[in-house]
Amino acid sequence: MIRSSNPFAQEPRYELITRVLRSNIQRGSLPEGLVLLEGPIAAVMQTSRVPVQSALRHLMAEGLVHRFDGRGYLVGPEGRAIVPLRRDIREFQLEIPDAMDDALQTRGTWRHVYEEVEEQVASCQIFGEFRIIETELSDYLGVSRTVARDVLARLQERGLIRKSASSHWIAGPLTARTVREKFELRSIMEPAALRLAAPHIRYAEVEHLLEIIDSGAMLSSDSLSDALMDFCIAQAPNTTLVEMIRSNRLLLSSVNRALTALGLPHDEETIDQYRTLLDLIARHPIDSAAEYLRDHVEIMAQRNLARMKIVAVIRETGAFAPYLAPQ
Amino acid sequence: MPLPPANLSSPPRLHSRKLRVRGTSITLLSQIRERAEADLGFAVEYELLDFPTCQRRAAMEPEGYDLYEQCFHNLDIVWFWGALQPIDVARITEWDRISDLAKQGGISKYAWRGHGDAPVRKLYVQPGGFLGPKPSRYISMLPTVHNMDSFGYDPAVFGASEASRPSWSWLLDKRAKGRIGLMDEPAIGFFDAALAAEATGELQFADICNMTIEEINALMALLEDRRRQGYFCGAWRDGDQAARLVRDREVAVQSMWSPVYGQIGPHPGDFVEAAPVEGYRAWHGGASLSRHLGGPALDMAYEYLNWWLAGHAGAVMARQGYYISTPERSRAHLTPNEWAYWYDGAPAAQDLRGPAGEWVVRAGARRAGGSYHDRASRIAIWNTVMDEYNYAARAWDRFIQRVNAGRQPEEGAA
Repeated sequence: MIRSSNPFAQEPRYELITRVLRSNIQRGSLPEGLVLLEGPIAAVMQTSRVPVQSALRHLMAEGLVHRFDGRGYLVGPEGRAIVPLRRDIREFQLEIPDAMDDALQTRGTWRHVYEEVEEQVASCQIFGEFRIIETELSDYLGVSRTVARDVLARLQERGLIRKSASSHWIAGPLTARTVREKFELRSIMEPAALRLAAPHIRYAEVEHLLEIIDSGAMLSSDSLSDALMDFCIAQAPNTTLVEMIRSNRLLLSSVNRALTALGLPHDEETIDQYRTLLDLIARHPIDSAAEYLRDHVEIMAQRNLARMKIVAVIRETGAFAPYLAPQ
Repeated sequence: MPLPPANLSSPPRLHSRKLRVRGTSITLLSQIRERAEADLGFAVEYELLDFPTCQRRAAMEPEGYDLYEQCFHNLDIVWFWGALQPIDVARITEWDRISDLAKQGGISKYAWRGHGDAPVRKLYVQPGGFLGPKPSRYISMLPTVHNMDSFGYDPAVFGASEASRPSWSWLLDKRAKGRIGLMDEPAIGFFDAALAAEATGELQFADICNMTIEEINALMALLEDRRRQGYFCGAWRDGDQAARLVRDREVAVQSMWSPVYGQIGPHPGDFVEAAPVEGYRAWHGGASLSRHLGGPALDMAYEYLNWWLAGHAGAVMARQGYYISTPERSRAHLTPNEWAYWYDGAPAAQDLRGPAGEWVVRAGARRAGGSYHDRASRIAIWNTVMDEYNYAARAWDRFIQRVNAGRQPEEGAA
């Protein structure tokens, strides 16, 4: 493990990026209407796009940015007919506190590339079993074999890949059983964590999120799921439990993103459920919220199992990163 | 179609209204389309696709069609992708006449329901947008055509007498080694093989229609073993391919679709339909509304749905061996001899024609398994898209590729 006195050193990258963007929006360094695109932000922060996507979803849930009829996000709340301002984010004086810059820069080299690989490896698994070719991975990332191995070790640690009998790295296939079991774990762990978290929940953020939902803003179920995790469940003081919940969710959220990329439409039912859940959390005894969360997870499980069936009729050959070899 | 010159005395407005139907060879017959256009006064455009393509495009491109004609067993795929809208049964004039096989799950109160995706289990829209058997005003798909499938066999190999007791195990029988054909569609052929493996006693599944990964692996291993021993001579995707395998006398036994019996040539007694001792593998088709439909287009779609159940379409389906969910309405559109053969299981009093006018049944022939009621009472399983479908379908596809490669030694790997 990397030990550091820097308080940000152990934070996930998306959290660091969220902090930087949030403070710059609040200070006015990033003006209302500015179009935020993943690519340029990733370049400024020296990361892959994946944590930037996640950060933008968080900011959307906080009402600091919103979707519009075009690529990217607009700075500012929805519904004020803000005119898009298309300029490169690098033209603005972004303030990045030293400690945070340090945390972004000084991570082990593998951390710079890890999240992109994790996303690719997790989402390919709905399409079957893949072998990961180590030399191709280091070529693809432009890093040494040692760094590629660090990435693979981390993927193994998080349960995303395994070694075959012949010592090859294997990912997938993602089966209905895995999905069912992961949702079962969610329905056991998450309501328990929510109960433990009750005194620590960031209620102000939850109330704010409810206001955004009620204003009719278009929020994705991904961003609501992230917000529920960060503002509520992850506030549980049992950090081991929170870590288990995060890693159990990993594969499921990647699958969801992969399905969304295939064209899965906006899910109104799920968004209604998040609204009810957040309302229960904010205004009612925590037991009622915990019970509702368990039901919600069970419904999500059924929906996900049904949706995964379509993957059987999709041929995705050629759409995978070059280091992933279909078996 | 090019528009006629504007100076015609009565410029036809007929085809300015158009209903687009996406479906498969089961129901997209020109005899139905032409009659529907004449009866309804609007154009009907068919888009005929194979099963997997049809499912994929119905789910992912719902703007491309108004009506989707497919089967209940793969409805999940399209429904949970949000591509369809519920059908209001208050707008279905024939709703009360639709048979209990679709609405209750069995042809009678006492009939065994069969394992798997019986239509009733996917029929009614439940709270939360799920599908289930609890009646409600809204349904996912209007039940129309259906059948109980089995396999066909060569009596010279398996025996012609009643005592031969046809069994699904024949699909893995060494008497037919090298002359066994497979249906290449994972929600269908896979279950033929599963029934066969249980019938031979080699495998037992806790729930044949919702297998575990281990059970799927065991079935695929068994099939692979038989393949290496040279049991299978090929796999087919459509009725023409199935008929060719029979006409060329390549197969001694294979899964069959009813219309194929009408296509197999002048000696139908050489390849006969089985009424398996274990029961049938059934399927149920229907039609669903695309989510984008509204206003006059939605009205047209309901007109078409109601027309489908009103008699003529069911009669066309009957002539290729398929049943309709409102059989009494089709009776008036069939001759008494046709009705007696197809629905009552009586010997054909004369030669009978198929949907396109070709001769498909010889006088004196009798449908295996008897009447509609008898056959529908003996459903072992329904075609099913099980939870592990994604895994099973991929394993099945790899297996079928090896079967087909084995047919072409010049292309196949060693």
